[in-house]
Amino acid sequence: MLFFSFFKTLTNQTVTIELKNDIRIRGTLKSVDQYLNIKLDDIEVLDLVKYPHLSSVKNMFIRGSVVRYVMLPRSEVDVGLLEDATRREAANQAGKAR
Amino acid sequence: MAFFGFDTTLPRDRDGSGPRGFFETPDPFAQVAQASALDDDAIDFEDTYDGLGDQLDDDQDEFNDDTFGGPGPESSGRDFDFFGKTAQVSDAIGEEQVRYSLQNPNAPRVAQPVAQPVQPAPQAKRSGYEKYSEPGYIPDLQAKSSVWGVSQKKTEPIPASRKMLSLEEVEAQMRHSSNAGAPAGDAFLRSMVEPQFHPQSQHLQAIPDGYPPVHPEFLQAQLRQGHLPQMAHPPPGMPELYGGPGIMPPGGPMHMLQNINAPPQNLPPAGPRHAGPPQVQRPPQHQQLPPNRVSSNGMPVITDPQQLANLTPEQRNAYLMEDAKRAKRNHKIFLLSRGNGLMTPQDKNFITRIQLQQLVAAAGSIADSDPEAVLAEDFYYQVCSQIRGAPRQHPHQPLGHFAQTYLLQTGNRLGGHRRGNFQSADNHMQRMQQQVQRAVEAAKAKPKNKQLIIEGSLGKIAFSNAKAPKPMLNIKRPDSADGPKPKKLQSNLSLSDRKSILTNVENVYSALMAMEDMERTMPPPPEEGDAEAIQEHMEWRQKLHTLNQKLWRSLKVMEPIVPNSTTPHPFIAFLSYPKGKKAIPRIFRHIDQEQRVTILTMIVVHLDSLDVVRLAQPVPGEAQPSLGMREAIDLFSLAVMPCLLGYVNEAPFNIIIGLLGLVINQTHVQTVARTKVGLGILTMLLSRAEIVKEAGQASEHDWQQWVEKFNVLFDTLEPGLNDTFPGTISSGDDMYVWQFLAAVGIGASPEQQQRLVIAVKDRVMETVGYSKTLPADMGSQRLSNVNLFMRAIGLDVELLG
Repeated sequence: MLFFSFFKTLTNQTVTIELKNDIRIRGTLKSVDQYLNIKLDDIEVLDLVKYPHLSSVKNMFIRGSVVRYVMLPRSEVDVGLLEDATRREAANQAGKAR
Repeated sequence: MAFFGFDTTLPRDRDGSGPRGFFETPDPFAQVAQASALDDDAIDFEDTYDGLGDQLDDDQDEFNDDTFGGPGPESSGRDFDFFGKTAQVSDAIGEEQVRYSLQNPNAPRVAQPVAQPVQPAPQAKRSGYEKYSEPGYIPDLQAKSSVWGVSQKKTEPIPASRKMLSLEEVEAQMRHSSNAGAPAGDAFLRSMVEPQFHPQSQHLQAIPDGYPPVHPEFLQAQLRQGHLPQMAHPPPGMPELYGGPGIMPPGGPMHMLQNINAPPQNLPPAGPRHAGPPQVQRPPQHQQLPPNRVSSNGMPVITDPQQLANLTPEQRNAYLMEDAKRAKRNHKIFLLSRGNGLMTPQDKNFITRIQLQQLVAAAGSIADSDPEAVLAEDFYYQVCSQIRGAPRQHPHQPLGHFAQTYLLQTGNRLGGHRRGNFQSADNHMQRMQQQVQRAVEAAKAKPKNKQLIIEGSLGKIAFSNAKAPKPMLNIKRPDSADGPKPKKLQSNLSLSDRKSILTNVENVYSALMAMEDMERTMPPPPEEGDAEAIQEHMEWRQKLHTLNQKLWRSLKVMEPIVPNSTTPHPFIAFLSYPKGKKAIPRIFRHIDQEQRVTILTMIVVHLDSLDVVRLAQPVPGEAQPSLGMREAIDLFSLAVMPCLLGYVNEAPFNIIIGLLGLVINQTHVQTVARTKVGLGILTMLLSRAEIVKEAGQASEHDWQQWVEKFNVLFDTLEPGLNDTFPGTISSGDDMYVWQFLAAVGIGASPEQQQRLVIAVKDRVMETVGYSKTLPADMGSQRLSNVNLFMRAIGLDVELLG
């Protein structure tokens, strides 16, 4: 749930999402769910020349499984807290596995 | 030539009701366009024809129509729509047959010469979609038998594509049409007496007796032409059978396929035949039923009411049962459909939102029981939203409260501008919430099987939910008995290799987090006499102390110092990682003064082996240390130094003296003094001593000790004072050096101050000169840095002119 928890804090931020088919989309992250499906608003496709069919798309819902990368605004990430959250998650996982 | 199902007929030939090709999907809207373009018949064949058709071999087209279903222009004049009519009047089919024959005069047939490929009556041009061009037109959904294009197929006027009729065939057709007008009773009688079994051709049997007698010559001619008298579509009776007007029965297309595939025998026999003894009828009927006429449920596909009469009682019963069921269902749908359109989309959205919020609230109520679990699952979000000033007041406020406030807002919205019946809506929401809660509880009560194996299924079915997604990989962990053991041996071997250092760091962090968690659960301060609360508090303190000890051990500050060791002390190694540096402020919050001084002492003792000192010397030829090192230094200055400073500012004087002694005795002062961190620590100690002296807290004895140490330090530093400045004058940040010089200058004797001025005079002059070439604010910044030092020794840059 760490990623879900993490992405929830990024709602209404501008992110760039790279899909597994190399399309990169920049837009406002509207919401995310536990499958890391992503809703983007006001999107803008980088390299639009290659994907003209997306030129009229204004918002989209992206299935989480097709996402390769999410590029985040650095200032919006609390690194120390994220480190701690990661430690907790790891501890939880270890606890569950036992 | 209907290859691939393209409709090759010209627009004028196309009237929409001809049988379609096998692969052709009906396009109802094509007709709309066609209807609007009726006046000017827009497409000119010659313009669009690419001549490819000329290359086709016409000799081999004979069976195309059988294979694909031939395009057939509708003949309006040949009305052989027996099936449509019979289906409509299934009650009294015998009489109706007579009436039908009488009803349909042969006038159109007379009017239309048989062999001429002239277009049929003008209404054939009607597409049936004309009405759609009128706005607001609602079609009456009646199943029209003509839609199925059934009977026309049989004796259509030969269109342009079928011009090559021999005289014989034309004669056959003429005779046929003249016979069609014969009194129906005659045909009826004849069919009764001698059912037409023609030995010559299997197909001839196919012609049901309801048809007027057809001459064998004609049939044969048709056969030769490849025009089997086939049925391409289900008879018109079907839609009525299925109850809903215009509603295709489920699997309707399937029926059509079956009918296309079926040989012509499938023509439902017309009425008079059944008036006769069933024994006569049955054998051919059964023999003619191909297997694919039987639908999936084992029931024969009933396309005509008459077929019902031919079924065995069991089949009929089954069929009727099924029909009743279907009718019941349709009725139910109809009843339900009365509510259609009662709710606007907004209403539906509203209800959906309520439901979702209930679910959130339900999830929250689970969490209510265990806020720790929420924090464990959703730590980052919870804390981050707290930090960013999200609606909740403290991070440990359970999610349920959050959801409930949200819910209240919705209630207000509802009461505000909707229907005003806040009360009932509220009740509704409460009821729904209870329902969901019950469901959630039931789900919780269920045994928590993680997977289910159903007999016959291929593999396991894993349950998953939001909290525990279905595991994609199932990795078996090695038993703890044989797993970590070899690792432990290794880590014991080398205490300071990278991996064990990182493990140490992580241990420190987990201890830290445990302590922070403990702090959260601190019981309220006990009141006087409340033994239980005092007891609780004591236990808590005890636990906290245990954790503190754990943290202290994992810091490894107390590891013995090995002189001249090649590997750094574990604590110094710990500090060499960024996350080790970052941990220091958090650690300092949880340890007592004694532990803090121990850490400070440890750092001072190892000052020249700290990475930020040892590696901070720029490589010869470089003005600055590497970027990574600069970052490390900045981090150390930001994270560690304030902690140390915070302690030093309160430290007793003797400790300061001791620390200075350690710097002088244990470290290479010249090296230390050339680094920002080293100078920073020295500045810290010197300034603290000065403050103590100013405050008059220092005893004479202590002060003597201090001056001794200071003199040693000064003497050691003096030759290298110029080297303490980083790089050239233009390379920027040298403020910390001026700060250090100021601290030295304050504590120095007048004689020492003199030496100090001489040592750094050049740098002072340079900086003053350089600052004049800089923009005003940067220049004054540099000057004020210098002034920091100058004022410490009672001078001012202003005096330098």
